[in-house]
Amino acid sequence: MNYGYYPGCSLTGSAHKLDKGIRKVFEKQGHTLKEIPDWNCCGAFEYGDRKELTGFSKKNLEKASGLFSEIVAPCPACYKNLREADEQKEFTITHPLDLFDDAFIGSVKQARDLKGHVFTPYYGCILLRPRETAIQRNTVMEEVISRFGGDVAGEKVKDRCCGGNQIFINKSVTEKLSKLVLEKSKGTIVVFCPLCHMAMKTFSGERKVIYLTDLLLYIMGENKVL
Amino acid sequence: MKNIDQSRIFDLTDYKRQDFSVCLGCKICASVCTVNDLSESTNPQEILQKLFLGKNIPSDDHLVRYCTGCYRCTGACPWNIRIPEVIRALREELATRSPFEKAFKDSVSIWGRVYEPYVIIMAIPFLLKGGYIKHMTRWTEYMGIHLPHKVKRA
Repeated sequence: MNYGYYPGCSLTGSAHKLDKGIRKVFEKQGHTLKEIPDWNCCGAFEYGDRKELTGFSKKNLEKASGLFSEIVAPCPACYKNLREADEQKEFTITHPLDLFDDAFIGSVKQARDLKGHVFTPYYGCILLRPRETAIQRNTVMEEVISRFGGDVAGEKVKDRCCGGNQIFINKSVTEKLSKLVLEKSKGTIVVFCPLCHMAMKTFSGERKVIYLTDLLLYIMGENKVL
Repeated sequence: MKNIDQSRIFDLTDYKRQDFSVCLGCKICASVCTVNDLSESTNPQEILQKLFLGKNIPSDDHLVRYCTGCYRCTGACPWNIRIPEVIRALREELATRSPFEKAFKDSVSIWGRVYEPYVIIMAIPFLLKGGYIKHMTRWTEYMGIHLPHKVKRA
């Protein structure tokens, strides 16, 4: 399958691991990701003017027009903004987690298992809310972990807020909220959002925080994140 | 303290004043609000009520300051009101912008994208004062540094 790919700004910098992970997982599963040419920032959550914010993603969709009909956007903020800008439903904009279905996970060539490891799947806010743009497969991380023998913990925190949005405004807010999530979770934290990753990493101390893509690559025998 | 031009809030969001007349005052938004996890007493419904009645909203309101945009309120609201978007419009109108947010927007105007090293450099006085430097070693563990020529021109 060929997909148009919108990495977004974070994935070119602080979340470059997620970018590499996504590209590698898709390649291994036989899918092609091709970047939308000359894409621009989606505006994340920094713009109070709704028209201005949607304008950024509309520009990106114009650039994808005629080239792609299916677009994959891993960053939850980019994914939400693209979905909301596609008012005419011209494109199929999908989050990678919704593509990790039974067939996808079932075809993973397993080289390692997760036995003896405890994980807290942490989705954060924007993958699960608001409901119009929320992902469909909201237990996919749990499915991956259990399928390969790992133990799932911390179910209650999966949709709590890490406060990542406030990290460069009121750091104490992020610290308190992230620590609440860390206290109520167990083992390795598995994330998908670059902002959750940054917030959790900043305050996690010795606890491991990894992207789901890195966990999948570990299972495939690629890297050693555990 | 700045008075909010409320008509601008309705220009910035997709909402009209009468859209908030449906708020039942059930306060379910307050019961799920993440800001209340910080022991701040916050009631998002009060903001909607003030906007509907044309009452002033102080710029130091806890929700305006600390809203994380988690959409728990929207998920719980019987009318699905997108309170975080109302709060973002209030912040825009109040111009309560942190140096980081300014640098973010400047980077987007220069390159069309967020170039993180630029944002960090422009926000250095704020980062130093705010005690962020101690986190730098942790951030360098996973952050990738790339040169500006890889960032496209707008």
